[in-house]
Amino acid sequence: MRVNPSLTARLRIGFGVLFALLLAVSLLGVGRLFQIRVNYEDEITRYFQLELESERLRAAFILEQASARPAIPQQKPSRAELDRAATSFADAVSRARGFAGSDAGVNVRVDQLASAESAWRRSVGEALLRGNLPPPAGERRRTSAVTTAGDALSNSARNGRDAAQDEARDDTRNTTILVAAGLIGGLLAALILFTGLINSMRAPLGRLVEGARRLAGGDLKTRVEVGGPVEIATLGNAFNEMANSLERDARERDRVERMKDDFVLTVSHELRTPVTVVKGFAEMLTEQRKSLNSTQYEAVEVIAESATQLQKMINDLLDLARSDAGKLRIEPEPTSVRSLARRVGRQMRPHFEERDQRFTVSVEKDLPDVEADPDRISQVLANLLMNANKYAPEGSEVRLAATRVREEVEFAVSDEGPGLGEEELEHVFDRFWRAESGETQSVGGTGLGLAIAKSLVELHGGAITANSVPGEGATFRFVLPIAKDGRPRRATRGRTKAGAAG
Amino acid sequence: MTRLLVADDSETVLLMLQRRLEMEGYDVVTASDGFEALERLREAGAKEPDVILLDAMMPNMSGTEVLERLRESGSKIPVLMISAHLDAQEPDRMRSLGASDCIPKPFEWEELIGKIEELADGKDSGVE
Repeated sequence: MRVNPSLTARLRIGFGVLFALLLAVSLLGVGRLFQIRVNYEDEITRYFQLELESERLRAAFILEQASARPAIPQQKPSRAELDRAATSFADAVSRARGFAGSDAGVNVRVDQLASAESAWRRSVGEALLRGNLPPPAGERRRTSAVTTAGDALSNSARNGRDAAQDEARDDTRNTTILVAAGLIGGLLAALILFTGLINSMRAPLGRLVEGARRLAGGDLKTRVEVGGPVEIATLGNAFNEMANSLERDARERDRVERMKDDFVLTVSHELRTPVTVVKGFAEMLTEQRKSLNSTQYEAVEVIAESATQLQKMINDLLDLARSDAGKLRIEPEPTSVRSLARRVGRQMRPHFEERDQRFTVSVEKDLPDVEADPDRISQVLANLLMNANKYAPEGSEVRLAATRVREEVEFAVSDEGPGLGEEELEHVFDRFWRAESGETQSVGGTGLGLAIAKSLVELHGGAITANSVPGEGATFRFVLPIAKDGRPRRATRGRTKAGAAG
Repeated sequence: MTRLLVADDSETVLLMLQRRLEMEGYDVVTASDGFEALERLREAGAKEPDVILLDAMMPNMSGTEVLERLRESGSKIPVLMISAHLDAQEPDRMRSLGASDCIPKPFEWEELIGKIEELADGKDSGVE
């Protein structure tokens, strides 16, 4: 049993971390890009200014040269002009220094230019102002030193600008890659997080679904393995509690059912001995009619009749209790339908004669044997016929018919009694149920006959049904399987002699 | 006169059986359990009963035990077992133990008399 943190907590933490991560990546990325852009603009501007200054320096130097040696022969070198030009040169140098900032290469170039210019002014400029001609080689060297230094400054400013451009481009690219990587990473993390979450739920949820199906299918021992996020684990625990309670209830119900069955079995069993004795003695007395007066004889007759009825009821109850407890057993054997009909007919004849009813039997020609317990199927037929005998009016007809229907034999018992309504048909096989329409109210019987008939037929693997047209009569049909070796057989061996009932 | 030995642990059932069987004209000896049944058999000696009726379930010694002892000792007296077990296999089980016939409890009187007559006649004509 492995319980993970709750779903809510995990979702909250997951979303929080993910949100913070994506926010940080976006803000840092955008900030960095902005900063790169601003830096780039500053640098570019600085190097442009620097280039501008280097042009000014060049111009100032040309002015210096022109003041020391005027192009027009009539003009004289002027100290004042030279000084002005030198000042503007020095201003440009100091501005260039400012623009150079921390760029060491540019600073060196500015220094070199400044020192080359002051060297030129000291040796060439001063000499010209004084009217001396400096040695041509020296002048050329000093002058070219200044021009070279000026070119170098221009170049390094241009190079600096290019470098700043390259650097900005690289930085922008790197930052963009980093931000993209960060976003992709975040999305991957989200994917992993949610997949994990779903997986952690899938197995325990699957177990719950399967458990619920098994439970619904009637397997009350079903329990699920508890696991997954807290919410699902709680659901699993609740499921198991429910299953426990269901199983407990079912067990309790079974126990009560068993107790009831045992009770009915025991009671019926215990009742049999005294009933046997009462019946036996009462019957004995009825046989001694001569020694009894008419009142005594009547009393003994009623006692014997009641004891017989009680015994029948006890037997019926016992059969039903056995059937409920799964202890009702049958011994099916290939049984001749004709002999079954004969046996039941013999048993029932006195009852039909008593009510002046015609009893007709029709058994289809060449009917194969059925796989049946002869005693039990006789009991079923007797119950159905007894019912017809009781409910049908005097002088009417009761029919027993047996026909082949595919691989089964159908038995049908029909009467011309009052029949049953639709609602009555639903309950006709219920225990202790009795039709209670008007004139038939006085009918006796245990109310168990049809319930037993149903149990017995079903025990044979058959089915029993009731049909009726109210006012015209009722028909009870049941089917029994044909015996495997459907050959005609000897007459059924009567384990209990027929004709004794009643 | 046909002699019967009847064993049943219920006093009232035993009395009822005795009176009715006597009315039917049998000579009836009773026993209330297995031991007593064997005792009565010993007492009878050569005048052994023609048919023995045994309740299958009795305290101390059951009818099935009496049946087994009788058959072990070589007795061929027909025995009719009375069994409250209405199991479908019961008659076969009883026959395999050596019972001549078996009747479920409760029984119909005519059926009981019929079986007793059958067994008594069978013994006379030498058929088991």
